[in-house]
Amino acid sequence: MAARSRPLSPHLSIYRFTITMVVSIVHRITGIALYAGTVLLVGWLLAGAWGPVPLAYVNGFFAHWFGTLVLIGYTWALFQHLLGGVRYFFWDATAGMGAGQREAISWANVIGAVLLTVIAWSVYFMFRETASL
Amino acid sequence: MIDKAVIANPRTKYGSGRGATRHFITQRLTGALNIGFTGFLIWLVFRLAGATHPEFIGIVGNPVVAILLAILIVNVVIHMRIGMREVIEDYVHDERVNRLSRLLSNFFGLAIIVLAWGALAKIAFWG
Repeated sequence: MAARSRPLSPHLSIYRFTITMVVSIVHRITGIALYAGTVLLVGWLLAGAWGPVPLAYVNGFFAHWFGTLVLIGYTWALFQHLLGGVRYFFWDATAGMGAGQREAISWANVIGAVLLTVIAWSVYFMFRETASL
Repeated sequence: MIDKAVIANPRTKYGSGRGATRHFITQRLTGALNIGFTGFLIWLVFRLAGATHPEFIGIVGNPVVAILLAILIVNVVIHMRIGMREVIEDYVHDERVNRLSRLLSNFFGLAIIVLAWGALAKIAFWG
């Protein structure tokens, strides 16, 4: 029997959005963002290695409201992807796959990431004036 | 005929038998390690926000911090290389463009490691 072309499955546009689907897509997007974001970390280390002037320049960028916004977004992406990974650990073990459970885990992923981001930055903004962490 | 056995056989072009199991395990392993590294990285970034150059050198040049950062970078690159490969396999269907994309992704990861290690070595050994 000759090989036929593989059947194609319908793609995103045809499905109703579910939370499990959203966290799956967001997991991939945050992964790609974090991939690109490693440039920020390496750029920061390079600036520090280069000398006081480049470091002050990078510090100035991150202290600016736009730089801070980028960092907050990066932190959220990090937590979203991290908790998404934990979600996959559950599912790899075939835990939390029942009706309702998979949605609950997905919502926990979304809410947890936002909460952790808020907590981390609240701690930072509260303590940066008074003491060094 | 294409059946389950053909798809599961790594010697055929069907399925992803080239390194899928190894990638699956490596991805979980590096991912789990990254959970710990995330806390460390966030502490470091917050600790060094707005730091002067001597402060920066003092903390990043600390052997424990420098070594942890060096391992973190490698762990992250391994994890993101596999992740990006999966994305490329899903969306880039042309064989040559697919290979080229994966090659570029490998170079990107390598560049990240080389630059980060270079910066860390400079900071740790020469200040």
